[in-house]
Amino acid sequence: MSNKKEPEIKQGPVSDPSSWVDKHGDYLYRYALMRVRNREAAENLVQETFLAALTARKGFTGRSTERTWMVGILKHKVIDTYRKSFREKSISEIQTDEEQTVDSFYDAVGNPGKYPKDWLPDPEKLLSSKEFWEVLKGCMAKLPERTAAAFSMRELDDLDTAEICKELSISPTNLWVILHRARLQLRECLERNWFEKKEDNV
Amino acid sequence: MSNWEEETKIPLITSCKQAARLVSIAIERRLTVRETLTMNIHLWMCKTCTRYRNQIRLLRQAFTRHEEALGNTPASECDCLNAQSKQRIKDALAKSR
Repeated sequence: MSNKKEPEIKQGPVSDPSSWVDKHGDYLYRYALMRVRNREAAENLVQETFLAALTARKGFTGRSTERTWMVGILKHKVIDTYRKSFREKSISEIQTDEEQTVDSFYDAVGNPGKYPKDWLPDPEKLLSSKEFWEVLKGCMAKLPERTAAAFSMRELDDLDTAEICKELSISPTNLWVILHRARLQLRECLERNWFEKKEDNV
Repeated sequence: MSNWEEETKIPLITSCKQAARLVSIAIERRLTVRETLTMNIHLWMCKTCTRYRNQIRLLRQAFTRHEEALGNTPASECDCLNAQSKQRIKDALAKSR
């Protein structure tokens, strides 16, 4: 605890709040943008995060980096947003809303022209491709709002069924249906917008 | 809904629809012995669903590394706060100090 701090930090573990936006703003913004649906919402989340960090800065022990600490705050803010969007509508409404998310995957059966492609990429190459991330983000943005919310908690934050169900007040069965649909839709979107177009690249 | 709950009575030979569900559920909870068997028999026979499973795996792998990707994006990209927004946030911060 009483470790020597790095020389540039003189007034406790937190750096000067007026430097935060330049230091962490873009990262937090991208982090938020991955999880919410538009720039405005992401921007607001970043601002709220900084304001909350300002209030809580005395409690920051410096055990993690400043950025990790802020990401932790942002994560909670994002989940609050999700919770709100789930509270607005009942789960049965959500499901009817998303009923038309046609599982075209199933059409592929018996229709070789529409078979899922063998994505077979070199995962390293794929995951380090900036373009791939752009397409993936675009595909996530096309998911229905609450589907995207549940899916983000599961796949981006790696929360388990119990945690997600508690936050969103839904049943495990509901959650699994939502996640399955999200996967089908994302798969299809990626196939159309990346793998069919970029076969040479991957 | 019964397809999602633990179910022991699903037939060993099943449709792609059911198999794809099992592939997805397997990520969320432990499948029963019966479910595992059903899924594997189907995957063994069905190229489509096997590919689907591989695609889902790749997707999941991608998501575990998204934070890395966030850090990699160069500052020149448009995925950044613009100067105006930055100023707005700075002002908000300054005001509440």
